[in-house]
Amino acid sequence: MIDIDRLTDVVDRSLTGPVVEERIFDLQHVAAGIQNTVRDYEVQADRDHVVNLDDELADRVWDAALDFLASCGVYSKDTGRVILFSRDEIERLVRAAPSQVPMGSGPDARIDVARTLEDPRPPLITGGPIGSPTPNDLFVPIIRSYVQEPIVDMTCGATLTSIAGREIRTKSPLEILAAWEEIDLMRQARELAGRPGIATTGIMISVSDLGNLTASSSPAVLPTDLHTFGIISELKTNNDILNKLAHILMIEGVVDPYANPIYGGLGGGIEGQAVLLTAELVALSVFFLADCLGTSPTHPLQFQDTGRDLMTATSLSFQAIARNASLLTNLTITPVGGPGTKTLLYETIACAVMSTVSGQSRILGPRSATGAIPAHFSGLEARLMGEAVHAAAGLTREAAEGIVQNALSKYEHLLDQQPYGLAFPEVYDVQSVRPKDQWLKMYEQVKAEAIGWGLPLDAGSK
Amino acid sequence: MDGKWQALCRTINEGNSEAGVAEALRLLETGETPLAVFLECVEPCLADIGDRFARLETFLPELMLAADAVKAIQEELLPRLQADGSEGYGKGRVVIGTIFGDIHDIGKSIVSVLLQVNGYEVKDLGVNVPAKDLVQAAKDFDADLIGISGLMMPSLPYIRDAIALVKENPELVDRFRIMVGGGPVTREWALQAGADGYADNAVGAVTEAALLLEGRP
Repeated sequence: MIDIDRLTDVVDRSLTGPVVEERIFDLQHVAAGIQNTVRDYEVQADRDHVVNLDDELADRVWDAALDFLASCGVYSKDTGRVILFSRDEIERLVRAAPSQVPMGSGPDARIDVARTLEDPRPPLITGGPIGSPTPNDLFVPIIRSYVQEPIVDMTCGATLTSIAGREIRTKSPLEILAAWEEIDLMRQARELAGRPGIATTGIMISVSDLGNLTASSSPAVLPTDLHTFGIISELKTNNDILNKLAHILMIEGVVDPYANPIYGGLGGGIEGQAVLLTAELVALSVFFLADCLGTSPTHPLQFQDTGRDLMTATSLSFQAIARNASLLTNLTITPVGGPGTKTLLYETIACAVMSTVSGQSRILGPRSATGAIPAHFSGLEARLMGEAVHAAAGLTREAAEGIVQNALSKYEHLLDQQPYGLAFPEVYDVQSVRPKDQWLKMYEQVKAEAIGWGLPLDAGSK
Repeated sequence: MDGKWQALCRTINEGNSEAGVAEALRLLETGETPLAVFLECVEPCLADIGDRFARLETFLPELMLAADAVKAIQEELLPRLQADGSEGYGKGRVVIGTIFGDIHDIGKSIVSVLLQVNGYEVKDLGVNVPAKDLVQAAKDFDADLIGISGLMMPSLPYIRDAIALVKENPELVDRFRIMVGGGPVTREWALQAGADGYADNAVGAVTEAALLLEGRP
């Protein structure tokens, strides 16, 4: 039985909420709202640590985020009104949100389960380039390079760069064709890897609602797959987004949206970013009926989420949620480094370890080379991400902090140098879909270093 | 910066438009020229704010409020600039928007505000802007530069359309420079699409705009 009452309630509120000019929403509702709650709740991060060690601080971030969200709301760009839920309503809906969701089928069936801080159960691993641009001829081997990794629990598509030899245009027939093509190529990659039931998140090519609404009808989309969409930064929506949501609900799919707050943007620095990220993830649950709450917070100049300040804010935010709710949170790791660079591997380890001990239920990526450079990603970095996540599960936050600091010391001075590395054919044999020796050697070297930092990568997966 | 400018610079940093206008007028009463107010105070003050954002020591809300304060000061002082025969202050006029089909806003807004705090007059068209609307807005605003952002691969062809609308029109080809940027946009793509300039982040956009408009009247 499909319950549409929650969605119609959101639609009703978008039609009856207070009328606000968008700039006023940005400056007064979001920016000033964040500044006020950061001040009122005395949110002050510890600059000496990336992994948060202060439980009371995490709880204050949670309280600040709920107060902020209740006063700020979500802006509808189509109606010019603010969708509001009271704090009581937000708390009630958060309590009612799913704390576990099944996904995938057969031997690849998995259950995404809410985790706690320092939880010994590892988060699920979504291996894939998470919408990064990919030429058609490399799409299947690249996706296969992720799916064939046993440690990968589920996958996510890339974005095709063309369809039938033509540039893809959103809101045109070409977008619809490309969305169907993406679904079919994902099916091929899953079958070639021998994992036809592995859960997939999509549709990545479809910017507008068009491609999603049609390609979701493809028989290659399984009932156990996930359906994603992004909300507009910061805390905005429109009917395109709500159309996608309505369709996902009607096909009884897993609602897997994301919100990517911009560091240094309307939320400001570390403290504001932590409150804003927490509020946006809660908003995904309350306003967008999400089963899974995703993010890849973004540095405004380097487009990563692996830098010191961003990871500090992210750790604080995810701990705030993990300590105060049973929500399914996930992070897409977005390194600056690309394949064939140690930078990518260090960034992946740091972010994976930080995320795992901070209570996330699923970790995605890595979206290597900021997800912007065509075909600059490969399955090997997802293998390392999975291994690092499994090794970090059950570590104390103090132990994780030491590992993160060691990794950061290897790469943070390189983040503004765009070490995008090499394209997939230069690090993998495209025919056999096996990593080339030099890339494998680099991976082994970095693993050995991380073991030396105290990350038990040699202990086997959990 | 000379001590006499400190109060005005402070109002800009605080984003206090009302106090900024009052202080600018007070400076004029002491005998300062409008051009001196801009060149010796407003411009270096804004450059400092831009530099602090590049180091992430200040953030977008402060930038937006500072830009508002400067806009208020400009509106008060620009008529006086023209009246005293000075050449117009300002580095150029920019129309900016995120291309059709793409709703990414914040990155484009950061570019917009950074250009403003660096002395450009900016008309920000928002997101999901059709190619022909970008070009029409550039004509209406009498822009020198069109800035186009695109973060989604399937929206990039519409950037190419906008460029073509300018480059294939003999009346517009020499009138507007076009600068593009955004996640999947590379310098190679930009040049191949016919853009005049490219930037891979907001700070780079300010540098690129200066290069593109250098020497233009």
